[in-house]
Amino acid sequence: MANFTIDGKICIERELGVVPTNREFEDLISHFDVLKTCKWISDNNYSKVCLQFPDELLNVSAVIFEEIKNKCDVDLYILGDTSYASCCVDAVAAMHVQGDAVIHYGRSCFTKSNIPVFTVLPKKKLNLEASMKTLQNNFGSDEIDKLCLFYDAEFEHCKDEIEKAWYQQYPNSYIAYIALEENRNRFLGRLVRDLNGEVYNSDVLKNCTCIYIGLSGQTLFIYTISIEAKQWFSLNPETLEIVSKTETAWFKRRRYLIEKCKDANVIGILICKLAGDQTKDIINRLKDLCKVNGKKSYIISVGKPNVAKLANFPEIDIYVMVACPENDLYNNRDFYKPIVYPFELKVALNSNRQSYFTNHVTDYDELLPGNKHYCDINEAKETTDVSLITNKIRETKVHSSIESSLELAEKQSMALETIGQNLQERSWKGLEQKLGETEVKKAEEGRKGIPLQYNNEPE
Amino acid sequence: MDKKRNIRNMSVIAHVDHGKSTLTDSLVSKAGIIANARAGETRFTDTRKDEQDRCITIKSTAISMFFELEEKDLVFITNPDQREKGEKGFLINLIDSPGHVDFSSEVTAALRVTDGALVVVDCVSGVCVQTETVLRQAIAERIKPILFMNKMDRALLELQLESEELYQTFQRIVENVNVIIATYNDDGGPMGEVRVDPSKGSVGFGSGLHGWAFTLKQFAEMYADKFKIDLVKLMNRLWGENFFNAKTKKWSKQKDNDNKRSFCMYVLDPIYKVFDAIMNFRKEEIDGLLKKLGVTLKHEDSDKDGKALLKVVMRSWLPAGEALLQMIAIHLPSPVVAQKYRMEMLYEGPQDDEAAIGIKNCDPEAPLMMYVSKMVPTSDKGRFYAFGRVFSGRVVTGQKGRIMGPNYQPGKKEDLYEKTIQRTILMMGRYVEAIEDVPCGNICGLVGVDQFLVKTGTITTFKNAHNMKVMKFSVSPVVRVAVEPKNPADLPKLVEGLKRLAKSDPMVQCINEESGEYIVAGAGELHLEICLKDLEEDHACIPIKKSDPVVSYRETVNEESDQMCLSKSPNKHNRLFMKAQPMPDGLPEDIDEGRVNPRDDFKTRARYLGEKYQYDVTEARKIWCFGPEDTGPNILVDCSKGVQYLNEIKDSVVAGFQWATKEGVMAEENLRGVRFNIYDVTLHTDAIHRGGGQIIPTTRRCLYACLLTAKPRIMEPVYLCEIQCPEVAVGGIYGVLNRRRGHVFEESQVAGTPMFVVKAYLPVNESFGFTADLRSNTGGQAFPQCVFDHWQVLPGDPCEPGTKPYVVVQDTRKRKGLKEGLPDLNQYLDKL
Repeated sequence: MANFTIDGKICIERELGVVPTNREFEDLISHFDVLKTCKWISDNNYSKVCLQFPDELLNVSAVIFEEIKNKCDVDLYILGDTSYASCCVDAVAAMHVQGDAVIHYGRSCFTKSNIPVFTVLPKKKLNLEASMKTLQNNFGSDEIDKLCLFYDAEFEHCKDEIEKAWYQQYPNSYIAYIALEENRNRFLGRLVRDLNGEVYNSDVLKNCTCIYIGLSGQTLFIYTISIEAKQWFSLNPETLEIVSKTETAWFKRRRYLIEKCKDANVIGILICKLAGDQTKDIINRLKDLCKVNGKKSYIISVGKPNVAKLANFPEIDIYVMVACPENDLYNNRDFYKPIVYPFELKVALNSNRQSYFTNHVTDYDELLPGNKHYCDINEAKETTDVSLITNKIRETKVHSSIESSLELAEKQSMALETIGQNLQERSWKGLEQKLGETEVKKAEEGRKGIPLQYNNEPE
Repeated sequence: MDKKRNIRNMSVIAHVDHGKSTLTDSLVSKAGIIANARAGETRFTDTRKDEQDRCITIKSTAISMFFELEEKDLVFITNPDQREKGEKGFLINLIDSPGHVDFSSEVTAALRVTDGALVVVDCVSGVCVQTETVLRQAIAERIKPILFMNKMDRALLELQLESEELYQTFQRIVENVNVIIATYNDDGGPMGEVRVDPSKGSVGFGSGLHGWAFTLKQFAEMYADKFKIDLVKLMNRLWGENFFNAKTKKWSKQKDNDNKRSFCMYVLDPIYKVFDAIMNFRKEEIDGLLKKLGVTLKHEDSDKDGKALLKVVMRSWLPAGEALLQMIAIHLPSPVVAQKYRMEMLYEGPQDDEAAIGIKNCDPEAPLMMYVSKMVPTSDKGRFYAFGRVFSGRVVTGQKGRIMGPNYQPGKKEDLYEKTIQRTILMMGRYVEAIEDVPCGNICGLVGVDQFLVKTGTITTFKNAHNMKVMKFSVSPVVRVAVEPKNPADLPKLVEGLKRLAKSDPMVQCINEESGEYIVAGAGELHLEICLKDLEEDHACIPIKKSDPVVSYRETVNEESDQMCLSKSPNKHNRLFMKAQPMPDGLPEDIDEGRVNPRDDFKTRARYLGEKYQYDVTEARKIWCFGPEDTGPNILVDCSKGVQYLNEIKDSVVAGFQWATKEGVMAEENLRGVRFNIYDVTLHTDAIHRGGGQIIPTTRRCLYACLLTAKPRIMEPVYLCEIQCPEVAVGGIYGVLNRRRGHVFEESQVAGTPMFVVKAYLPVNESFGFTADLRSNTGGQAFPQCVFDHWQVLPGDPCEPGTKPYVVVQDTRKRKGLKEGLPDLNQYLDKL
């Protein structure tokens, strides 16, 4: 038995981060829109519905499950441990049980999904009066400079009050509302409207000062880098602090990574999202782009990526990750090889695109045909230039299609050679016999136990 | 050009301000390219506007010239390989190089393509620091030197030296130069004896500014008839301890009461007389002297007097071009001679393959071997001529060649391009001339290969050719500034400009850092200043913002790790046990210099390490790799015993090691001088659970833990600073150095002069504005010259807030956008 178990100390001592529930039952029903949810389910006649909870809400999942079950006649499933990010709708998991719809709890990134979704946003109290007062002190009026308010999704429940207070103070300004329905002018789940409810597209923000009410986090970060505005401020409703947001250093780093993309010979297209046709489109476009530029690309799907998984492919020079924009892996420096956004790979490899950009496109939807940031792939030319990272010559090799059969034969042997090169450089290839090179020794007693902790560990 | 024995490839090298470009003018004017009267003022080879304005050479400039030697002089060339039969014409390819130490990379590039060097020494200030540096480099590249004593006019007019004093000065300079030569050259070596000797005619004297010069040969010719002795014998008599007694008409080795040293009497006295007569306006005496010297003045010169007249007279009597030409043609080797002994220094491949033999024999029929030593900007913005020397075969316009960059390895495709050479050209200072083909032994430029080379490379037609050796520079790019465009939208232009800048200078480095900053790194402040000016005005053509200069740092350790460091793989099934320890003094430098390198035979290397550094030989045999970049001054040693599957994870461990040595734990700077030992490894029995993904990040974590437990330290670059000054200024120098954390380790008087040389180590970080500071504290009398010398540990613990290294680490982390504060050991170290 010793080979299969260890003393249970590790399991016993393991700490789990569970937040205990202390909410009142009534509170939960209104907090999680149970009644509205039930109405939505019965209105649409869904028979199998999945409840998707982020990890931190799993502890209330059972209660909500019970409540809905009591109020509706429906098959319910709880989806925990989402495949990629909990902000995205996990359509794949829903498909496993052939669910008709998903109820999504917790923070949402509002990206499109091919399954009906009912979004239950988190709710938080907003100290509106104090917040407005702080704003007034900092931004007197909107006569010269128009303003635009982005409230955090947590405050969606009190948007009417916010709207009232805001337009009272700034009648010429805008609010970027959370919009769950499709709209031509919707971006990052938001829709800009003015006092009269008229809808504008995001270009109007270029001349606006944007203010975000909420705690600064990934959402705010994505807004500041991808929405072109005069200036960005964030207002923390708890401490009432106003901070100006600029991400110059971040953009510098991203430009460095774009250079890295140009240097790369092998590109890994990392799939961290499955929902939506647009994912398929973007993958194909990235593949084409690599091909046109004579770079090899591999599609890699490893579930939730982590350092260890990605380091299993040391031949890949850079990863381009197709994932929900609300993902902080892009900025993680622990990875063996860096990860870039699809937009960045496109800037690097498509000479039709402006090589200098001041605003990022985090949502790859926008890069697809018919959308705002779409750009045709330019046929790459065979060129060389100097890489400022390695200080070596880098070459764009383009394989022309018109070749005589003889040339093709030559090329093929070359292709074999280049595939083999990575293997050649390894010291261990796995198949050498090394006959006579290894010393003859008497058998010794090896280690016992399971690798997590052998019974006889070295000191 | 095809008469390869009549070619001389030479560079002019010297300390800054010793008059290289001015002297070069004499030759250029002899070739008829510039007017005789303007020679010495034009500085024809200073082609750039800033060179003319600042009176300093920045870029080396090549010029090809054709001369004819007189029959009587040809007999002095005795070696049959130094002269084609019946050919009087000589092709001289001359490269004028900069003297300031910041531009020594230009000198290195010039030396590589030439066979001989004209070492110019200002006879007033004598042999200076840079004279020694460039001479040392020349000898190391197997370049034969000849010596020229410049600025004799100053010695006579300003210092009013007596003739015996002047002789002593000359004598000392010759001696000094020969001492340097003897230190770096082995007389029994392949180059043979290369000492300079006035009595052989390999030392010239004169004034580049006034355009006159002579060797003892000129004077011997004047007197040969009078003494009725052989020219060569007479030349011997005109130098050294030789005295002629006019009464007894006998030569003696000792000075008697009334006789004078032959050199003073027969060489210096006539010159002194001319100077004396002209500068004191003694008309009749002048006329008499002119007649004696056989100089007839042109009509327009006859009413000149004073200095102007002196110039005309001296120039017609002892034309500098003539003397120099003879020195060059007679004493410098032809490519045929030089390539024989230079081949083994130049070629990386086997010494008996076609390319090697082609180079050795300077054979125009052999396969082409050409070394491109630098890129010269063309009038077409962004394009360059690839400038270099044809060592074997011939390079022809329209020929298809293999262009191999410095990273090319035979049999591989990396850094190899097969392209057509669009045009071949001759470089003529400011002008270029197209030419059909260039045979071996010549220096030329190529059009159309610049896109495939960054700075240097080899061009060949031989499929199995190896690279020509890359040049080793005596300076390093240790001073850095970050640049950004004033208008952010100009960034693409800046990037394009940086790429061009990177090509145009042999030394400068343009780097895009991890943080996204664009860094320009150069050898010193002046070098950077020129590079940035070029970047702004010529390459990027946009206004640029630049940061204050900074230096790059290195991370190292002070002691062995105080505990065995264990890191577990993410799946917890693999464990690495390692320790870090500092390398013994000298080993990092040995690795830098390539004396210990990854390509060595592991047994020889282990023996060397065992003998010199007391490394355990069995351990030293198991050095897994060097890093960063596979060659850096850190090593990973396998000290484990009997670990199963260890060879399977070696590649992953090495990858993790490369990663960690490139980005150290403190501030993601390169590591230096750290040895990591692997003591034990536990691995999962299934290969799938010990793949790269498990091992690479774990190795990095374990190495980081090793560093943190081994007293991490920060290293900074240090200049070797040599300052020349009069005695009174020495005190001021100490003051300035003390304030800048510098320390003096040598102070000596230059023999025979009132000048002192102070040698000191000065941290590069403290050197910004040093020159100006020094001048203001010494009344402008001290001239420093700084060259990167070594890395030195910055005293103090970087983990202790308030110390200097702590500040450095925090500043660097901030600049790189890393989390501020100190790295946490617990993040890297695991417990069993």
